[in-house]
Amino acid sequence: MNDLVLMGLEGAVLVTGLAVLLLDLWITPDQRRLLGFGAIATLGVIFCASFAYLPDGTQYAFGGMYALDEFALYFKRFFLIAGMFVLLLSVGTSHAEEGGQGEYLSLSLFALAGMMFCASAANLALLFVSLELVTVTFYVLVGFQRRRLASLEAAIKYLIIGALSSAFLVYGIALIYGATGTLDFRQLASLPAAVMESRILWLGALFLFVGLGFKMAAVPFQIWAPDVYQGAPPSTTAFLAVGSKAAGFVLLLRVLHQTLPVLETRWLHLLMGVAGLSIAYGVLCAIPQRSLKRLLGYSSIANAGYLLIGVATLSAAGATAALYYLAGYLYTVLAAFIVIAVVLQHTGRDDFDSLAGLHQRSPLLAAGLTFAMVSLAGIPPLAGFFGKFLVLKAALAAGAEHPGFYWLLGIAVVGVVISLYYYFGVVRAVYWGTPGEQPAGPIRVEWPLQVALYLAMVAILWLGVMPNQITNLAELAVKSLGLR
Amino acid sequence: MEAVFFYLFAAATLLCGFLVIANPFSRNPVTSAMFLVLTIVSLAGLFVLLHAFFLAAVQVLVYAGAVMVLFLFVIMLLDLQAEERRSFKKLALAGGGLAVVVIALLAHAAVRESPLGTAAPPMVEGSPRALGKLLFTEYLLPFEILSVLLLVAMVGVILLSRKEAK
Repeated sequence: MNDLVLMGLEGAVLVTGLAVLLLDLWITPDQRRLLGFGAIATLGVIFCASFAYLPDGTQYAFGGMYALDEFALYFKRFFLIAGMFVLLLSVGTSHAEEGGQGEYLSLSLFALAGMMFCASAANLALLFVSLELVTVTFYVLVGFQRRRLASLEAAIKYLIIGALSSAFLVYGIALIYGATGTLDFRQLASLPAAVMESRILWLGALFLFVGLGFKMAAVPFQIWAPDVYQGAPPSTTAFLAVGSKAAGFVLLLRVLHQTLPVLETRWLHLLMGVAGLSIAYGVLCAIPQRSLKRLLGYSSIANAGYLLIGVATLSAAGATAALYYLAGYLYTVLAAFIVIAVVLQHTGRDDFDSLAGLHQRSPLLAAGLTFAMVSLAGIPPLAGFFGKFLVLKAALAAGAEHPGFYWLLGIAVVGVVISLYYYFGVVRAVYWGTPGEQPAGPIRVEWPLQVALYLAMVAILWLGVMPNQITNLAELAVKSLGLR
Repeated sequence: MEAVFFYLFAAATLLCGFLVIANPFSRNPVTSAMFLVLTIVSLAGLFVLLHAFFLAAVQVLVYAGAVMVLFLFVIMLLDLQAEERRSFKKLALAGGGLAVVVIALLAHAAVRESPLGTAAPPMVEGSPRALGKLLFTEYLLPFEILSVLLLVAMVGVILLSRKEAK
């Protein structure tokens, strides 16, 4: 019974998903929105309930399969917030979808449950199964608008590359099991040093990193990101950009620091290299983009790089910075995708030209997009600035030990400067773009989306101005991971 | 003796798996499906060598039997024609080859450096009873999550393949 209480949050999300799936059979299409709001409200309740958990250290359930600590809770709350926004976005744009709204809601909820299980995975078997739950659900969610060719193409690409990465992941797990004879994180952490030096274990861990790198969209596992981001429905893309990426990071941090600490020194250069390459690739490829979703795809790769710098420092400060960065990134990306979803609905396109005159057609959308872009560019006082500041500060501190971090710092700063160009290109298109022949009537934003956009903007500002509350939570989370 | 069979089955698995996706003699999807059956049967042979008899039997019954019959039904119902011969990009081929070589080198280096077989012998001798016990005790949570995964797959397939309401 205690086991079920410990995984109550995931259980509640799963039950909500099943209830939505069933209720959808009986209700009329007009009541679909109510169903969506009901699901969002339930997630809100679950979010509040997460504060009732006060893990004293790490608590285990299901024979050590499942771990609940502050670190897991931080990410669970993160995923729940992301889930609420994504559902709100999907309800707000529902009439443009091609039916199956109830199924979309329940599939999103199942993906959310999968991500929350990722946050608590303490066994490679659970890690694999929960990651697969997330990935398989996203195959469907990406191809949801199946009459749009772009959506189908994105789904096929995601399916093939996702299957390849899953193959690497499961092969890596097999190698780790072959070298150590266990899948359990605690047993792996307490292995004798001789086993830890096994090259087969390292190879398995490397393959594991490939699987997680795919989720994080870090170079060289990034090839799917721009196409899938562009083709998928906006609410799916937002969930993919935020939830899927965070699922990769939560597992990376846990494996790196809690499970196989031997990797910390082994992977230092790997992590630094991947971080630098991700920033360089994402930033350089984003310059010529004209499609906003594609631009955010490349920006997501660059952001994976900044997050990996925080992880690579192997310090509590770096991990805290990464956790804060993710929170800021969450609201920023959600604000951007709410705007993109509305613009897509009205113009059918998401290129820069369709943004022209947006500040006259809907000042709210223009403000939301500007907020998101300014935050992504890292301009104070918004959340994006403080995230980058914390990451770079941690890298500077780590540079005392490994001079390589100074190079990484250089790449990161140059990346920020270059990214100013294309983020402000978006802002320029919104305020100073010359509208073509398109109808320039005002855009009416539905109230759920208005609420979501206002909330996201307030959160971006609040996180940037008063970062202490989140950094305190992040520090607590990192401490429970055993990092000093 | 076991080693001989291992290499035999492993080679058969690799060869048949390759022929599923890139058969130089036939572009017919049915041929590919048949080679997939052979791949699965060779894999079952590998399971037998690992003393996982139950898994081997299930592998043949469920995958080579039921799933593959479904595959063939779909292929024949869709009336797929022999696929057109695609020209491969040289760069893509070189990239793929390079990736395989690098992974093979890594694996070789890993196996050479650290001896195999240091791990504890398997806990299960592959009887259904022991397997079921493990699934419902130690691996209960992943097992239950898999049921959600199957539900998701089912809902997804229906969503993506149903006819329009109007």
